[in-house]
Parts: sequence; structure tokens; C-alpha cells
Amino acid sequence: MKKERSRKYRNLERLRILSQAVFFGLYLYLLFGAHYTGEDYIGSTVQRFFHFDPLLALVTIVSARLVYAYFVFSLVTVVATLLFGRFFCGWVCPLGALHQFSSFVFKRTKFLKPPREDKASLAPKYYILIAILAAAVFGLDLAGYLDPFSFLTRALSVAVLPSLAQAISSLNGVLYGLGATGLARSISQASTNWAINTTFVQGFSVGLIFLGAIALNARKERFWCRYLCPAGALLGLLSRWNLLKLRIDDEKCIKCGLCTQHCETQAHPYPNDKWKSGECVYCFNCASICPTAAIGFRLSARPEKLTNVSNVDLSRRKLLLTTLLGMVAVPFFRLTPSRKRASLKLIRPPGSLDEPKFLAKCVKCGQCMRACPTGGLQPVLTEAGPEGIYTPMLVPKIGYCEYYCSLCTQVCPTGAITKLSIEEKNKVKMGTAWVNKSRCIPYVLGKPCIVCEEHCPVSPKAIKLVDVETKLPDGTTAVQKAPVIDLDLCTGCGICENKCPVMDDPAIFVTSVGETRSATNRLLLDITGGSAEDPYK
Amino acid sequence: MRRRDFIRDAAAAGLALRFGPRVFAGQKASVGPLPALAAVEGESPAAITREALSLLGGMGRFVGRGDKVVIKPNIGWDRTPEMAACTNPEVVKTLVELVLGAGAKKAVVIDNTTNQAKRCYVRSGIQAAVEQAGGDMIFVDDYRVKKMALKGEWLKEWEILLDVVEADKIINVPIAKHHSLCRLTLGAKNWLGATGGARNQFHQSLDKTVVDLAAFFKPQLTVLDAYRILVRNGPQGGRISDTELRKTVIAGTDPVAVDTFGASLFGVAPNELPYLGLARERGLGETDLGKVRLEKRKI
Repeated sequence: MKKERSRKYRNLERLRILSQAVFFGLYLYLLFGAHYTGEDYIGSTVQRFFHFDPLLALVTIVSARLVYAYFVFSLVTVVATLLFGRFFCGWVCPLGALHQFSSFVFKRTKFLKPPREDKASLAPKYYILIAILAAAVFGLDLAGYLDPFSFLTRALSVAVLPSLAQAISSLNGVLYGLGATGLARSISQASTNWAINTTFVQGFSVGLIFLGAIALNARKERFWCRYLCPAGALLGLLSRWNLLKLRIDDEKCIKCGLCTQHCETQAHPYPNDKWKSGECVYCFNCASICPTAAIGFRLSARPEKLTNVSNVDLSRRKLLLTTLLGMVAVPFFRLTPSRKRASLKLIRPPGSLDEPKFLAKCVKCGQCMRACPTGGLQPVLTEAGPEGIYTPMLVPKIGYCEYYCSLCTQVCPTGAITKLSIEEKNKVKMGTAWVNKSRCIPYVLGKPCIVCEEHCPVSPKAIKLVDVETKLPDGTTAVQKAPVIDLDLCTGCGICENKCPVMDDPAIFVTSVGETRSATNRLLLDITGGSAEDPYK
Repeated sequence: MRRRDFIRDAAAAGLALRFGPRVFAGQKASVGPLPALAAVEGESPAAITREALSLLGGMGRFVGRGDKVVIKPNIGWDRTPEMAACTNPEVVKTLVELVLGAGAKKAVVIDNTTNQAKRCYVRSGIQAAVEQAGGDMIFVDDYRVKKMALKGEWLKEWEILLDVVEADKIINVPIAKHHSLCRLTLGAKNWLGATGGARNQFHQSLDKTVVDLAAFFKPQLTVLDAYRILVRNGPQGGRISDTELRKTVIAGTDPVAVDTFGASLFGVAPNELPYLGLARERGLGETDLGKVRLEKRKI
């Protein structure tokens, strides 16, 4: 028997690597594109990737009971998967590419030695999928936590890019120290240009989870894609009827088992009848590595036996159990007081839907946090209950809402934040500012300040100044201009809180009350009615 | 010899050499004494800026060949030119052209903005204008902000933008605006944009602060943009109705006189702006416009 590897499949493998690199590059390019480019409206960014994701489409539409038109793109993926299997995972998915690349590195560095045959159960991802779908039926959107696009985008926006930016900034300090002023200057100008925020309240934990997911590749190749990814599971189920089938030429096969050993996703190419089309991501490793070029992929309309789709024994009992688990999770996730009463710190981005709809649509991808020019949008931990973890909120102490910016509304992939023009956005109230008179410098120390009033971006200003008498410790009285809030004009942008010189706990602060999106988080009877004359005209 | 002494001496020697030849050659023969203040009114911001500078004796009086010049406009806010929150881009552009025309090696434009820097640079129109004129527009760099001894009466030390103080020549290009605390923001208050640190604390003693900053920076030239001035809702306005067209540029070597003249556009007398009095006492300039050589022109 002549030993020769297939040149055709070696080239296809190379093409696959190129495709992964191109899509990963495109993904990063679009992710970086989510900043103020000099134009107020930035067009499509990385949210386009999300629109091709059938899992996000299905879960968002089911849980929010709303059809979001952009998800029509996910039909492309569905049809492609029906015809050609999980190409998407092997050739397009940027997280898959990252996992495959790190698996490759772990293999090369001998941290990972794949066994001859891996018998670990591939079932977990299907159970995860079932639980997510069951929860979605009851309006609970859990897809965002494990969906590959959400997971990757959140990790990059909140942890990876910020830490890289910090590292580069420290490097800049070294460069200046060494006298490489020109280079250091170009780097600092570029990072100001891209507006990469470097402060995220959950950056550490999100980053740790991400690194953990990467590190799992040292145990099994593409660990995430094999055992965890619910989007991969959905595509796996769709791929049953696909036309592209792995065929082993029995005459050429020398039964060396290299194909099964190096299969990225445990699809088990050998023996041929054990091959699982639902697991195969068409990376062509097997066909390329085969020493006798015995493996090929042929078009065939014959559907696989269901057991062969993933060759996973999805027992009825376990399916019922996970469905039940998904359903039980719903009330469990909602034991939170934030369902009864709005949280004061939960200042949602402008254009956010009313809280229940927002939670049903937000996929926690963190693109809004990437786009926010001041870094004010932060991942929520406790303020919105368990189903709100990683959803965005404005933390004015970290960054305020830039008056003429509506980037967060433009990048949301699911419409949890409605797309707004600048004019529309400036009519949205995110919350209301309050003065803490026992900490405000003019009120309590009798010294001039007015920093909040100076920064208030609306015209006429929502912060007015009044003369206030303050008794000083020595018994004298000081008269200073002190801030009072005009509730009708305040948008809750939080620049006053951000710029307040009282550093630890600003003397002026924003809470969510009066937010446009909520019919219940109200303050005064007439605050919703709107004034007769529009102060913006 | 300590390193610090060496650097100081080297800098002094450098300065002496730079100015030396011109001292020996003498200033170019001028017809009569030049005015300290020029106020020009006209339709085009660029033309009135040019005219004001030529009344003062031309940019060559302030900028030498090979100089690195910093032009410090007010780009503090994310507002378009018609809101009159930032210096008129045409005025800045004209100054960059004049500075480069006078033989300067570099014309750098910088401001420590209040809103996102890029938004301010782009939407004020200043970035495009400066780049068109061949100047360099740079963002504030954290590593280029250093705490420095200001030797002021109130501010002893503060974080200062190195890019501003390391320049050979400094030109201050404020815009005339309303401000709720110091009433008006003109030339002296524009120096807040050349500082870093917790500058929101300045407001606790703003008049003394701006005088200390003005004394520290000592601009060679101040060009006050009063083409469109902000009369209420300062210092950032937000509506065109907050502004008034005055179509004036005031240029001068005496920063206090420039501000005094600027205040007169708002009908504010010098004694209503406490910092002007403080600045005069410190010998930074004159608040009595009768004592200043003033050239007014309408084109």
C-alpha cells in the first residue's frame, strides 16, 4: 500500500485555517470598530456576527416574544448547516477558532496528549441547550452566558482588551523612560483614539472564566465545543440531514486510528459507521492526517441514523430532567427583589427596554460596554437579580453618558437597547440626579464649587444655582451658589456625579427613578406627562 | 556637577544661543511702537485673525525660525462651532498657518478636554482645521502630565501638560464665554485646559487659581476668539440661542488687557472680575484699557 497523505485535504485544511483566521480578524476588526470614529453613526459592527447565530435568534425570539428582523441572517446558518453540517463551528466561529488554536498550541507544547479514543460523553452541551430552550419558553434568557459570541465578546470587551490596554500603557511608561518618545506617543494617541476602557468592575472574574475556558483545551481539544457550547449543540441537531458525509476507503485504510485520535471534536471518524455528523465541524484534520489518504468527504443525501448524529445517548429520562431543570430555574432566577421594586443603582443605557423585556432580550455580550466612550457602562453583578448578571448599567462614578453619543444603542445585537438617533437619545431619561446636601461643598463647607452645574450638558441646564447660607464652625455665615436639580430637564447622564470633586461618595448622584423606560419607577405624578413646551426647541 | 544643574545650564545656554543672534541683529526696524492690543471686527474669522496679528507686528514678532510652538485653544466640550463652547476652528487654523509661515518647526495644538477627547477634537472642527493647516493635533498623554512647581501664591504645585510647557513659544487662544462661577471664562481660565490632576478642585478658589496659572504659563501671545460668544448656559451652552455673533478677534501681548477687552463685550467692567484685579497686582498686565496701546479696526 502506497503511503501518501491527501494533498487535496491538506489544502482544504489550510483553507479552513485561513477561513478561521479571516473570520477572527474580521470579528476583531468589527469589535474595535465599536467606538467614536469621528462619525456619530458607526454602521454595522460586530453585532452582525450575532445575527448569524441561530441559538441567539431562537432564544431571543422565544424569550422576548418579539421577532427581531436582523435575526433573519441566522437562517443562512440554519440552511448551511442543514446542507453541509457544522461548517460554522469549524470555519467561521471566532471562539471556535480560538479554542482550536489553543488546542493546537497545547498539543505542540505537549501539555495535551490526545488519547487513542476518547469515550467521554458529549451529552452535556445538549442538556445545556435543552435547559436554555426550556427557560426561554418562560421568558428567561440564559443563552448569553454560554453562547460563543456573547461569551467571547464579553470576555474581550470587559477583560482582555482592557488588560491589554493597561499593559500597553505600562509599556509606554517604559518607552518614555528609555527615550523612545515618538513610538510611545503614537501608541498613546492610538489608544486614546480607540477609547479602550480599562476599568471594569467584573473584569477580573470575567477574565478568569475566559482563561479557564481556554485552559480547558489542555485537557481535551476544543473542550468548549465538544462538551459545553449550546450553539454547537443546536447546529449539531440540525446537521442530521446534511449532504456531506465522511467516507473511509476500506481498501486504503490501515486502521492506524490517527484520524480518531486527532479529531478536534471527538466525531470519531473511524470506524466509518461510528462517525457522528453532528459532532464533525469539517476541520479536515482526519482527511489530511490520514497516512494513506483513505478518508474523503462525499455528497450523499442519505440521512444519518439519529444515534449517529452525535452518537450521544440522549436518554428520555435525562431530557425530561433537563427540561424540568430549565423550567424550575425560571422562578428560582426570579426570587430577587429587583422584580418588585427598581434598584436605585440600576441605571440602564439610554434606549433600554422596560426591565422585564430588557432581561428577556439582553444577551450579555458587553458590546455596549466596549462602545461606551467614557467606560461608564459596566457589567451588573447584583443589581438586577441573577438573570441580570453581566447586563449593562451606567456607573457614573466610573464614567458618565456622553451627551451626543448613542453608540451603545447602535451596537446592541438584539435590540435590548433600542437604536436611537442622537436627538432621540437626548430625550431619554436614564435616571435622576440628587444632591446630597450634607456632603456638597457649598452646602456644607460654604466654599464655591459649581462643578456639576458647569458640566451639565443640557441647555437650559438641569442644575440650577441658588444662593445658600451656610453656618461655618467659627459661627460666621457663608453665602455660596449651590446646586438644585430641575427634574424636568435632568436626563440622568451622570456627568455631575462623575465630575463631583467629592471623590469617595459624590455629593451629587444619579439614581434610576424617573427613567423613561419604566412605568413604575416613578417619582412625581406629572413627571411622565412631559412639559407642554419642549425645552430643546 | 549634578544632573539637574547640567540640564538647567544646558537649557539656559540653548536659550541664550537661540535668542543671541537676533539680539545682536536687533528687531526688525518698526515704524513707531507696536500696539499691545489689537481688536479686529469682520465677517471672516480667518481674515480678522490675520489682520489682528499684522496689527501687532506680524507673527514673526512672536515666533522664531525652528521654534516648537504650542497653540492652546479651548476644546473643552463636545460641541460644534455654532454652539460657541470651543474656540472657532478658523481662528485656530489661521494661527497654525501664521506660525508655520513664520518659520516655526512645529505647531502643536492640545487641550485637556472635559468630554471624550476625540469627540471634542473632531466635533469642534479644530482637528480637521489644524491638520489642514499642517499643524499637529495631539491628545493629552498620561505620561506627559507631570506635577510641577508653579510657585503661585495659591497653587504651589500642580499637574501640568509637559507638551505645553516644553514648547518654545505658547499662544493662548481662548473663546469668550459665560461661566457661572467666575462669570466669564476668557484667557486666564483657559489655562485649566493645560493642567491635569483633580482640576475640579480649582473651583474652590478659582480666581486665585487662574491668576497663578496665567503667571506660570506666560504666553507670548493671547488671541481671544469673540467671533461668536456664549452669553448664557456657560461654559458649554448647547443652543444657538445661547450665543451672540460679535465677529471680533482680540489679539495682544498683554493677557490681562485682552481679558479686560473681552469682558467689555459682555458689558462687564474689570472690577466685576476679581481675577483681573489680582492679575494686575501681580504685574501680569493692565486692566485700564486707557493705558494700553490699543488698535481697533473693522474690515
